[in-house]
Amino acid sequence: MEIWNYLESLLPQLILLLFALLMPAFDYLFKDKRLLSLLALAPLVALVAAMVSWLFLGWWVPPESNIDLIAIDNEFSGLFLLVFLSVGIVVVLGSPEFIRKDKNQGEYYSLILLAIIGMTVVAESTDLIALFVGLEISGISSFALSGFRKSEKRSAEAATKYFIIGGFSSALTLFAISLLYGVAGTTNIEGLRTAMTTPSGWLSDGNADPMLLLATVLLMAGFGFKVAAVPFHMWAPDVYEGAPTPISGFLAAASKKMGFAAFFKVFLVGLILSITQWQEAAAALAIVTMTVGNIIAVSQTSIKRMLAYSSIAQAGYLLIVLPVGTPDAVTGGLFHILTHAFMKSGAFMVVAAMGAVAIGERLDDFKGLGRRAPWLALAMTLFLLSLAGIPPLAGFASKFVLFSSAVYASSPGPDWLVWLAIAGVLNSALSLYYYARVIKFMYMEKGPKDIIRLTPMLKLAVAVAAIMVVVIGVYPGPVIDVCERAAGFIFS
Amino acid sequence: MFEGVPIISIIIMLPLIGAIVSLLLGKHEKYAKWVAAVFSGVALLLSVLVAFSFMVNPDSAATGYHRGADLGDDNRFFDYQFYEDYTWVKTESLGINYTVGLDGISLPLFVLTTLLSFLAIVFSWDTSLRPKEYFGLMLILEVGVLGVFVALDYFLFYVFWEVVLIPMYFMIGVWGGPRKDYAAIKFFIYTHIASLAILISIMALYYEAGTETFNMEQIAVAGMANFTTTFQVVVFAAMFFGFGVKVPMVPFHTWLPDAHVEAPTAGSVLLAGLLLKMGGYGIIRVAIPTLPKGAHELVYVIVIIAIASILYGAMLCLAQKDLKKMVAYSSISHMGFVLLGFATFTTLGIVAGVFQMFAHGLVTAVLFMMCGVVQHKAGTRMIPSLGGLAKKMPIAATMMTIGFLASLGLPGLVSFAAEFMVFLSMFDKWALWLFIPIISVAITAAYYLWALQRSMFGPLTQKIDTSHLRDVDWFEGVPVGILIALIALFGVFPSLVFQYITPSVEWLARLLAGGG
Repeated sequence: MEIWNYLESLLPQLILLLFALLMPAFDYLFKDKRLLSLLALAPLVALVAAMVSWLFLGWWVPPESNIDLIAIDNEFSGLFLLVFLSVGIVVVLGSPEFIRKDKNQGEYYSLILLAIIGMTVVAESTDLIALFVGLEISGISSFALSGFRKSEKRSAEAATKYFIIGGFSSALTLFAISLLYGVAGTTNIEGLRTAMTTPSGWLSDGNADPMLLLATVLLMAGFGFKVAAVPFHMWAPDVYEGAPTPISGFLAAASKKMGFAAFFKVFLVGLILSITQWQEAAAALAIVTMTVGNIIAVSQTSIKRMLAYSSIAQAGYLLIVLPVGTPDAVTGGLFHILTHAFMKSGAFMVVAAMGAVAIGERLDDFKGLGRRAPWLALAMTLFLLSLAGIPPLAGFASKFVLFSSAVYASSPGPDWLVWLAIAGVLNSALSLYYYARVIKFMYMEKGPKDIIRLTPMLKLAVAVAAIMVVVIGVYPGPVIDVCERAAGFIFS
Repeated sequence: MFEGVPIISIIIMLPLIGAIVSLLLGKHEKYAKWVAAVFSGVALLLSVLVAFSFMVNPDSAATGYHRGADLGDDNRFFDYQFYEDYTWVKTESLGINYTVGLDGISLPLFVLTTLLSFLAIVFSWDTSLRPKEYFGLMLILEVGVLGVFVALDYFLFYVFWEVVLIPMYFMIGVWGGPRKDYAAIKFFIYTHIASLAILISIMALYYEAGTETFNMEQIAVAGMANFTTTFQVVVFAAMFFGFGVKVPMVPFHTWLPDAHVEAPTAGSVLLAGLLLKMGGYGIIRVAIPTLPKGAHELVYVIVIIAIASILYGAMLCLAQKDLKKMVAYSSISHMGFVLLGFATFTTLGIVAGVFQMFAHGLVTAVLFMMCGVVQHKAGTRMIPSLGGLAKKMPIAATMMTIGFLASLGLPGLVSFAAEFMVFLSMFDKWALWLFIPIISVAITAAYYLWALQRSMFGPLTQKIDTSHLRDVDWFEGVPVGILIALIALFGVFPSLVFQYITPSVEWLARLLAGGG
């Protein structure tokens, strides 16, 4: 019977896996060129089915059916699952038009599904080993995805770079895990915390064992690569620029969030008791990341690169969660992860839409878009303003919760935490400059006059994201509620 | 009259619906102006009805009456009418409500907003460049400004505050003059940074008060007990900066001339007539009542900045060659009076400050509209190229003269009452220091009369082609005419507005006297 419990609790992943394995076969079946665009329906079905199965999962899976390595029945992992699956849906909707001339489309979707499986495993893991396996599953699929157009130099370069740096970061993470196992005698994340409460010498009187410090630093670097925190960010702009645009969106909106899932789990559950050891380092990481990301983004002329750097900056905002380390901060972090997933994937889908009709992805190519494709330009405007944090859009609400948590925490905690909020706010002002510039190019510069026509799938992908950005912005209550409950699991 | 009707929300929704309709017009762009005029016109009508059914000294019989929280010692917080309160976001850590209401301070500005928006829309009747977007954005702007003046929840207030930025950015950037790109982005970034100072202050207030709600009243009441003087000084400084940029106060005024010079005429009217008032309103609605100790500690900073704005703004006007730029700088000078009035912390001074905002809104709208007329007809606003236009366009010259005279404070017109009261209140408090700001009266008269002489009177200019010069069109003359009538009406009977403002301000002044 136990095996059934296992399978039931892994149902979303199993559905995804089944389809991932079947996709190459579907590719073979849909050889006819006209039917090829229907291929994307299969992964969509898989993603929606996985989402539905997760929503009902809570009803029939008893808590004790949790496997040792992962926990399914909590809202923290559920929230991430929802983010990954939603981003997956937006990306898959935006893909067919973009890759319509490419070969091996079945594998493309198959890799997306596999990457999502890896991400969900990270979010659900309760053990460092499961976490690492999840990171690897999604990592390897992502390397292959960014090199999907292997005959294109840029794409191949991106994949190689991503692979080398990704491999390096995996090695760091694994080394850190082995060190932690050495000092704590367990790889269970909760177990780490328990181990720290017992007076064992490796965390006593506020003095930490050098091994623990080394492991913390290595983990910060390893996960830092995943979330593209400065100074571990060098790969991100090249990969985002070289990868097929929907995949760039996927990496920025989903893959990066997996890094944060890992960060939150390990640092705020496993290592929370040694927070004074790494709090200042994490704060510095956050401030440097957001500032550098924003400053470099200002000078970009390629929209994809600009979005890549903006993504780095957004990672900086999210890193605020670690040094603040309160339930409010995690609520804000989760909320921002959710909204960022929609606005960033939406923005990349707009760029993908431009690429699909062979217009290009430079700032100049956006000239006059307001007249050529009014709805597309409006959606892009919403995404950019939301990224900049202008109310009443989703990005404002989530930044508000996130930054205010730092203000709040500075009263019982260290005073300097308030500077995290101030840095975040100043950076938001800076970011407005380059976001507004794109809007300026779309509406205030004269460009070609011809109307751009898009396929229904792309329109749907952009529309889904845009509607979410507006709806969450105007009525954030229920979403914040969910994030609050999810954050509760971190601190339970 | 409006018992049980969420009339404030309806008035805010009207322009929003109008904007959506206008943006969805598609190929029927030419009807956009009608859509805008109808929706903003109905909003104006309703807001006037609200003003007439507003009770000057409200009791429980007033529509949607909300009695201010009791503060002891016969003090209490502002009473509101037409009060609406709905839960918007309620979670464990956040309590955000949709709370709106009017009191004597916000009512004049509320009506001013619907009035100027409607008149600006009429004034733009011949806009042919992308009309549906143009009128749509104007209406969204109206929504934002109206929202700021009625919001009684910090979160809601901030949302409306920021909503104003985007349509203005587009209005300058798309329909603006030659340097519109620079002006638009400067406006956007400059005022956005100021907004962020407000945002941080709001967060600090929320958590320090510990009320778990963003309700302005509850935070202020909790703050009477909780906020230490240091906290108040720091947060007040941040808020004062945030609101002051919008006012604008010297030395944070440099976005204003750029924005005005490049903005289309209707954009300037709304910018100077309404957006600047948001800053002043924020100070008197939020910063001073919530942080009275901070305000008391920093009073001399406010006074010095106010006087610097008054004098420096006036002197800058003397040096301008561009008619519109001159009017823009004059706004800095005149808004300085608002700050000066507030800084006295007396009933007289604060009433004068609020009334000056109202008066300046009416007068400056006339000035910018007339600059627009000159630009439109003569093709330039450069004073040295103009001259003797009165011969060709007598009505325009008359209107401009009245506008200039009103702005320099001619008795019998609306600004005189306001500025006189500011001076009076300052004399009451700081006696002969009054001599410093009062110099501005002479400077103001100088630059207005000098500009008038050189542009409208004297021999007809030879520098521009004047053969086709026409007088004002109906859609220009009518709005200006209405405004001039109101300027005269409220100039002769300022108590028509004072009666609304004074009772609310009395509560505030009592609170300041007690809290200091």
